[in-house]
Amino acid sequence: MTPPYRKHVGSGARLSNVQSTQTQVPDRSDEVTGPPAGGPPPPVGEPPHRSSGRRWEWTLAGLLLAPNLVLLIVFTYRPLIDNFRLSFTDWNISSPTISWVGFSNYIEWFTRDDTKTVVLNTVIFTVATVGISMSLGLLLALLLDQRLKGRNLVRSAIFAPFVISGAAIGIAFQFVFDPSFGLVQDVLARLGIASPDFYQQSNWALFMVTVTYIWKNLGYSFVIYLAALQGRRADLDEAAEIDGASSWTRFRRVLMPQLRPTTFFLSITVLLSSVQVFDIIYAMTRGGPVGNGTTTLVFQVYQETFVNQRAGYGATVATVMFLVLLVVTVFQVRVMDKGSRK
Amino acid sequence: MNDVTRRGFLGGLAGVAGVAGLAACAGGSTAPASGGGGGQAGTAGQIEFWSNHPGTSKPVEQAIIKKFEAANTGLKVKLVDAGQNYEEVAQKFNAALAGGQLPDVVVASDVTWFNFALNKQITPIDDLLATAKVDTSDYVDALFNDYNFSDKHYALPYARSTPLFYYNKDLWKKAGLEDRGPKDWDEFKAWAPKIKAALGNGQVALEMADGSNYLDWYFQNMAWTFGGGYSKEWTPTFSDPNTIKAGQFLQGLAKDGTVKFNKSPEADFSAGLAACIMQSTGSLGGITKDAKFDVGTAFLPGDGNCPTGGAGVAIPMNISDERKANALKFIAFLTNAENTVTFTQATGYMPVRKSAVDLPAEKAFLEKNPNAKTAIDQLAKTRSQDNARVLLPGGGARIGKGLDQVAQGQDVATVFKGLDQQSQQVFDSQVKSKLPS
Repeated sequence: MTPPYRKHVGSGARLSNVQSTQTQVPDRSDEVTGPPAGGPPPPVGEPPHRSSGRRWEWTLAGLLLAPNLVLLIVFTYRPLIDNFRLSFTDWNISSPTISWVGFSNYIEWFTRDDTKTVVLNTVIFTVATVGISMSLGLLLALLLDQRLKGRNLVRSAIFAPFVISGAAIGIAFQFVFDPSFGLVQDVLARLGIASPDFYQQSNWALFMVTVTYIWKNLGYSFVIYLAALQGRRADLDEAAEIDGASSWTRFRRVLMPQLRPTTFFLSITVLLSSVQVFDIIYAMTRGGPVGNGTTTLVFQVYQETFVNQRAGYGATVATVMFLVLLVVTVFQVRVMDKGSRK
Repeated sequence: MNDVTRRGFLGGLAGVAGVAGLAACAGGSTAPASGGGGGQAGTAGQIEFWSNHPGTSKPVEQAIIKKFEAANTGLKVKLVDAGQNYEEVAQKFNAALAGGQLPDVVVASDVTWFNFALNKQITPIDDLLATAKVDTSDYVDALFNDYNFSDKHYALPYARSTPLFYYNKDLWKKAGLEDRGPKDWDEFKAWAPKIKAALGNGQVALEMADGSNYLDWYFQNMAWTFGGGYSKEWTPTFSDPNTIKAGQFLQGLAKDGTVKFNKSPEADFSAGLAACIMQSTGSLGGITKDAKFDVGTAFLPGDGNCPTGGAGVAIPMNISDERKANALKFIAFLTNAENTVTFTQATGYMPVRKSAVDLPAEKAFLEKNPNAKTAIDQLAKTRSQDNARVLLPGGGARIGKGLDQVAQGQDVATVFKGLDQQSQQVFDSQVKSKLPS
């Protein structure tokens, strides 16, 4: 229900989500985290003189957690549940009356022609942006981790687009991709190649928003990988080198395992932000050409809710997307968990 | 401990409620009893105006407000930034309807007002206009009647525009054409080879916005000129042989390279890359400034087949009668002859009053800007848009998509038949039950 806005607060919120999944590692003792307020009473074997201290600890914990919990409940869980409820209605966003339509929105979504296009767009966009921005980010991080002249300048240059607003980038990149006087067109013309019409041909339009998105978000993967690289253990690498390991083996067997938590963290955060892209698509193509050439799931939510005024159907798309993301994220956690136990 | 917390919590809540109550008293003490509910409160004598300042008109709006406040002692207008475009204003208004503070006046575009009227969330203004003795016959008929729904009007025209035919006079001369726009689309087709012969590398004869950028608005003119249209009342007429003929005409122009579709034709036109375009009158200022050639303007081909567009100002339904009366006073002032002239000269929109053109300020302006005069002369020949585009939810986007498909070579009859079905389905499921029988 809140597609365009959630994205902006997204990266911060997602960071904390991931951190919280990490702190919920089961092998922590109850002593440290303590049961949630209102849960089971403290273990009976405790010496009595500590109980007032414990009580104070609990109150403190409650006080410290409360603001966050309240915000989470009000701004995340309540809308989530609301959205779920709306997905079973035909609400038109301004009508005071709502009627229940059961699963018909879901049936419509699964049977409609455009669903396939939208899902395919989302998958292509997500796979491309996650894959390319992460591998390119790592590559650049490796490169700029070396002692190179002027590397700080290059580092800032790579990170800078990440902090620019997506809408501004979307507008600026129209001048890059414009088929009549854009930069790309100019370069291609010098090579004697006619520029494709990025705005009228669906595949090229999707290519254009994907490239723009990668350019904007590359800096994020890059910076996180760079930080991880700087925290890696040089001695392991040296030991491997002395043992005669090739640089590819050292990269694969020594470095990558050390970067595993980072890769895991990035795979989730980058995936979530890619799936939720809205600003660039809105500014560049409005989901077009030919209606849904670059429409992804999030854009469809917006389109159905605010343009077609079918908040119920929009909520259905949002719910489907939420469930898919939930499954994907749980799967990612499982895979990474298994890997780290090897 | 649990008890203490709960009591403390409840106590805190009561405190908060008390403060809120006081605040409500302070705000509403002099307002007429309004049956509670956040939406109905409001400060007496304060008119809250939610606008996106169409055409970057914020300074003009502020100036008009100042004049209004000077002329109406006791009334204050608070101008609120309610979004960057019409859709955002509509979203904010929707949020307010769900339980926030309602404004007194809200900007509603041709595409957004109807849903609010249909759901009884903006008020019919005819009685208010009569009480305030506003002469509605002075409003340009097509513009005023755009807000007509079951014999009631739901808004006053404010920032209104129409498409205009822009042509490059230098290229026209080179092609050996008369210095005017084509009478109809057949004449344009006859001219096309001459225009093409005069074109240089990378130039195109005609450029039109694509389906994501309101091609559905411009194409209405072509459909009407061929005797077709998107709908008659609520019945979609895409499959009408004449509408299909118009679609095939567009496709033909695309196939032989006469027309090219673009995100923003005005940019290419200003850069000299297109010999002519159909664009909103709102772009006139920008084009005149950017173009390095002589810009000509003309009526759209097909005399009298020009759609209107833009936004009006509406008043919410669920506010007190006193607030409604004040709000009406303000919107009538905002759109009176003198102010519509001030507003339109600053923005490029159309004056919404017939008598506006007789004012000395406007006469002088038009003398200096003959191209602006074309737009105003055309205003008398405008026609209200088809329901299937403006009144059916998602109509513009739906038709735009279909036209993109046509432009890219798909079978016109098939695409238009699909549009008929989809439009009918949207009408049946989202509009029909809410219409007065």
